[in-house]
Amino acid sequence: MKDIVLKGKNLKRELIIYLFCFVITTGMNIYSIVSYDTKWPELWLSLPIVFLLSIVIYALSGLFRFIYFLLKKAGVHLNILPLKK
Amino acid sequence: MSNPISRRKFIGNISALGLASTLPFMSTFSFASDLSSPSNIVNVGIIGVGSRGKVLLLNIQKIQGIKIIAVCDNYDTNYKRAISLTRNTAKAYTDHRKLLENKDLDAVIIATPLHEHAHITIDALNSGLHVFCEKSMAKTAEDCNAMVSAALRNNKILQIGHQRLFDPMYHKAIEMIQNKQLGSLTQIRAFWHRNRDWRKPVPSPELERKINWRLYEEYSLGLMTELASHHLQVANWVYGAAPISVAGFGSINYWKDGRELFDNVNLVYKYPNGNHLVYDSLISNKHYGMEVQVMGDKGTLEMEKGNYFLEHPPAAPGILQLVNDIEKGIFETVPIGGASWVPETANKVKPTKYHQTQKGLPEPTELQFHSFANHIRENKIDEENLKHGYNSSICAIMGHKAMLENKVIEIPDNLRM
Ligand SMILES: NC(=O)c1ccc[n+]([C@@H]2O[C@H](COP(=O)([O-])OP(=O)(O)OC[C@H]3O[C@@H](n4cnc5c(N)ncnc54)[C@H](O)[C@@H]3O)[C@@H](O)[C@H]2O)c1
Repeated sequence: MKDIVLKGKNLKRELIIYLFCFVITTGMNIYSIVSYDTKWPELWLSLPIVFLLSIVIYALSGLFRFIYFLLKKAGVHLNILPLKK
Repeated sequence: MSNPISRRKFIGNISALGLASTLPFMSTFSFASDLSSPSNIVNVGIIGVGSRGKVLLLNIQKIQGIKIIAVCDNYDTNYKRAISLTRNTAKAYTDHRKLLENKDLDAVIIATPLHEHAHITIDALNSGLHVFCEKSMAKTAEDCNAMVSAALRNNKILQIGHQRLFDPMYHKAIEMIQNKQLGSLTQIRAFWHRNRDWRKPVPSPELERKINWRLYEEYSLGLMTELASHHLQVANWVYGAAPISVAGFGSINYWKDGRELFDNVNLVYKYPNGNHLVYDSLISNKHYGMEVQVMGDKGTLEMEKGNYFLEHPPAAPGILQLVNDIEKGIFETVPIGGASWVPETANKVKPTKYHQTQKGLPEPTELQFHSFANHIRENKIDEENLKHGYNSSICAIMGHKAMLENKVIEIPDNLRM
């Protein structure tokens, strides 16, 4: 079995993607506080939930990227998302 | 003496639980006296050592400061068992009047069938003895009145065996109710369900009525005096009053085996402020078991299990509500042209356990005798307990009357303590 080696460039990309997921979930938290009229301290009190949710979204993004990778490998060309050579 | 609890620890537990605050008569747990001194030993005799009498005897044997010096039973099997349970240390009798002549006695404990409570209690009080009598107090309102009069006339303690009055879990519930944690009380619903014929094996046919006395009118009021009286006492405690009227139905709809008393009862008791107690009992289905559900506009208590439910629990954090709604939007199907009515299914809120049993604290059945003995030592009439015993017994009697006569029975003021 081959070891999966994360190169510096890849690691940085994954970190940015995760950060993006975290920002999205924090946005969801702010939106829910406003729309469900709950209390503002939930901004930090709900951090464990936000953190968990961001991991779930990150994992989902990983899944989609993996599917995308498989399709690319199979040589399928999608018009809407032109593959990089 | 096989008392596993040190006195100091026991007193500590009592005060830590704050039992004295919810009921004045619990304050007698002060233990000012030295229990090893013979003058502080309370000598008791037990009359009626059947199933309950045996339980009481074993509980009393754990208590330092109470000595069983006499036992009495007029059924040979139980008479012999009582002698062996006391390891021949107690004098044994078959006639309670002979036992009452024993000059060393301070008090008697009566655990005979219901129809024998009144006359034995009155004989004992008139002999100058304090009395602990099992619930229900008596089979008729006249007998209940005669028992109270005899206690007051002789200036002796008459305690009725409602052990929930000594249960820390019940005290906690009463405290929560008094602190308005349920908001305004709106209703009590109580029930006691079993699924068995309520018969005991009878060695020979002529003993049927002696052993299965609970099933016959001459000796008992069946489910009302044997089971309901406990929950009636609790309801009166919760509402802080005795009911003013009662209506109900009872019948024998399952155990048609020659018994005379109802095998299922459904009643509504009305209290002075318009609150109700809805009560039912049956012995042909045990799915729901037993419970006292106290409802208020802010919360509900299940007193037998020690559960507390809030009507409006604090909302979940916004983010969880959002996730929940997204999940619902994805997975829940929206019926087109479906029913416009949604059933009001029970609240799914998880209960909070409002009481943790304290290790080392005796069972309520034992605790009630600590209190009884202390009242005797302090020569203090336990009016609060007597009131509970009297009112719950009257409730049971009036409930039975309402079912027999098929009408609403108003409970007169002179039958409420
Ligand atoms: N507090 C509780 O939780 C609780 C539980 C069970 C029973 N009880 C009460 O205890 C009482 C007894 O119930 P039980 O189940 O033990 O009944 P039981 O039939 O098992 O016992 C009654 C005993 O009294 C004896 N007896 C009858 N008449 C007598 C007399 N004149 N003199 C001496 N002995 C006499 C009988 O021979 C029998 O041994 C009832 O009032 C019942 O309601 C209370």
